[in-house]
Amino acid sequence: MSADRPDGESVDEADPTVEMADQAKADEPELDRGIIEAWAAKMISNPDRAYRATFYVATVFFVVTTLFPFYWLLVVALTPRNNLSEVGVFLPAGFNPAAFVEVFQTLPFHRYVFNSFLIATIATVAVLLVGSLAGYVFGRLRFRGRNAMLLLVLVTSFFPPAAFFIPLNRLFNTNVDVLRPLISAGSLYNTPYAIFIPLSAIFLPLSIFILMTFYSQIPDGLEDAARVEGTTRLGALFRVIVPLSAPGVATAGVLTFISVYNEYFFSSLMTDGRPGNWAPMLEGILRFQGEFEVLYNLMAAASIVAVLPVAILVVVAQEKIVSGLTTGAVKE
Amino acid sequence: MSTDTRADEGGSLLARPLNWLETQSEEVYAYVLLAPAFLLLAVVAFYPLIETFRFSLLADAVASADPFGEFIGLDNYVDLLTGDTNFTQQFISISTTDSFPFVTFGAPFLQQALFVTLAFAILSVLFETLIGFGQALVLDQDFYGRRWVRVSIIIPWAIPIVIQGMIFFLLFNPTIGFGTEFMQWLGVFGDNPLSSSSDSFMIVLVADIWKTTAFMALLILAGLQSIDRGLYDVAKVSGASPWQRFRYITLPLVAPALLVAMLFRTMDAMRIYGLIDATAGCETVPSLTCLVIIALQNSRRWATASAVAFLTAVVISGFVVAYLLALRNSNGGVA
Repeated sequence: MSADRPDGESVDEADPTVEMADQAKADEPELDRGIIEAWAAKMISNPDRAYRATFYVATVFFVVTTLFPFYWLLVVALTPRNNLSEVGVFLPAGFNPAAFVEVFQTLPFHRYVFNSFLIATIATVAVLLVGSLAGYVFGRLRFRGRNAMLLLVLVTSFFPPAAFFIPLNRLFNTNVDVLRPLISAGSLYNTPYAIFIPLSAIFLPLSIFILMTFYSQIPDGLEDAARVEGTTRLGALFRVIVPLSAPGVATAGVLTFISVYNEYFFSSLMTDGRPGNWAPMLEGILRFQGEFEVLYNLMAAASIVAVLPVAILVVVAQEKIVSGLTTGAVKE
Repeated sequence: MSTDTRADEGGSLLARPLNWLETQSEEVYAYVLLAPAFLLLAVVAFYPLIETFRFSLLADAVASADPFGEFIGLDNYVDLLTGDTNFTQQFISISTTDSFPFVTFGAPFLQQALFVTLAFAILSVLFETLIGFGQALVLDQDFYGRRWVRVSIIIPWAIPIVIQGMIFFLLFNPTIGFGTEFMQWLGVFGDNPLSSSSDSFMIVLVADIWKTTAFMALLILAGLQSIDRGLYDVAKVSGASPWQRFRYITLPLVAPALLVAMLFRTMDAMRIYGLIDATAGCETVPSLTCLVIIALQNSRRWATASAVAFLTAVVISGFVVAYLLALRNSNGGVA
């Protein structure tokens, strides 16, 4: 009988429940049944408890479904090559951390990751610089055509990159003699420019939007005070407005960096895939998939290596990411 | 004063334009500062978009050095829409599996790509909205460890597309992944899901839902948190059940934020390319963007590719307009 009442303090409330459970027991011989029914009846008599239980179940479900694939990648990465066909769902078949070293020996994967970092950093700096100027104008100045121009910026982000790709591909493959001293081949294909220029433009509208929101919140008096002190207009922007909006700049920067690092379309099409030709991290991963067909443990290990930087960034800067994504949309 | 001297030290090359800028009206100043942004957008977006349209009016010249032939007007579009265009390489897997819903062997390939893209966009946005709402309701509660639950929900959103593809490629790899076995146990998948169009479509769909639901959740959460909590107290006192509170307070007040989030996701889903390329491959699950790349790389039909690219942009614009109209209505309803 005590099994029907797991917690003693609710005996009084649970009395009718126990009777119901007893009836159920008469019908069905299993012992477990009584506990479940008693629990269900308690939920019905006290709905708040039911909602609380649903909440915990949902939370656990969401956390497990989002994180389990990463855990399983680790399981695959740690499994020695010969045991890969026996890899389990929860535990690796063996233990071989050397896969994380092999990743860099099989391919110059560090070079791919470095290329990605470089491209993402340049794009972030470019977007913050250009976006700061534009965000300042849209956020703080009054001029004719403001709304039309803002709409034009927004519309750009609606179009699919495929609609830009063909002319850009042609443009970047054209040999321009002016570039010869800078780039040996004379064209932008196989250089970091071919990736970061399109990506800067594509992720610029979101940053303009975020920076515009933050810059518009700085009181006019602070800017006026700086101007009275004798600062130039641009000086006031970069010495007063931008430092005071540091959280906004950080938000735009983090989002741009993550977006460029994660991008697929231009990153996969603007180089020939060789690490010396500034191919980004994604080409490294795809080469593991394409050339080393059975080295699944290395594919998993390389994926973990490439995910780590963004995972750390998310843990450190989650507030920035959340605020950036929501200003981008709610302001519409 | 100090800044003036510093500017002079920097040389007249920098000082002169800066001084000139000081003397201009606010309007001129605004246009000057906007110039870099619009230059970048013009080179990467406006000019290519116009060029893509111009290219799409030219003929394919597969054999010559210049991939574009003479002006043929809208013929590329007519051929695409009537199904007269054929690539040298047809979508092999669709013909061999013939299990793909509604798409049969020999169907015009634009129709296939349009079907794949629209079905993917509608289904993924639908599931992401439902699950995202669930996640947002969880994150809206106050509980111990909320910060870490939020991190774990955001992480899939923040990972590179190629790694998202790799995870699902490995999960459904017949040798090592348990995904195929699990789905077969449910009685859904064939032996090698990544080479079957219908199975791969489901894999791509699940992978997308796994990664981008967090985006929906965060935007819906922002909408939830802007709701005045007092409304719920009033409803509670009047005896509204939790479901009624959700139906008559939460849902209508969150609707504008929800529509904006759905708009962003729909536009994004209709560009699907990388995830497909990294898992099943463009021939197995041909989306519109996949079609552009196939036409470019496999059969060197640049003009046809341009026409497909421009059509993709047109289809997306259609969705944007539909959403903006819906948004205007929902705003009008609240106000």
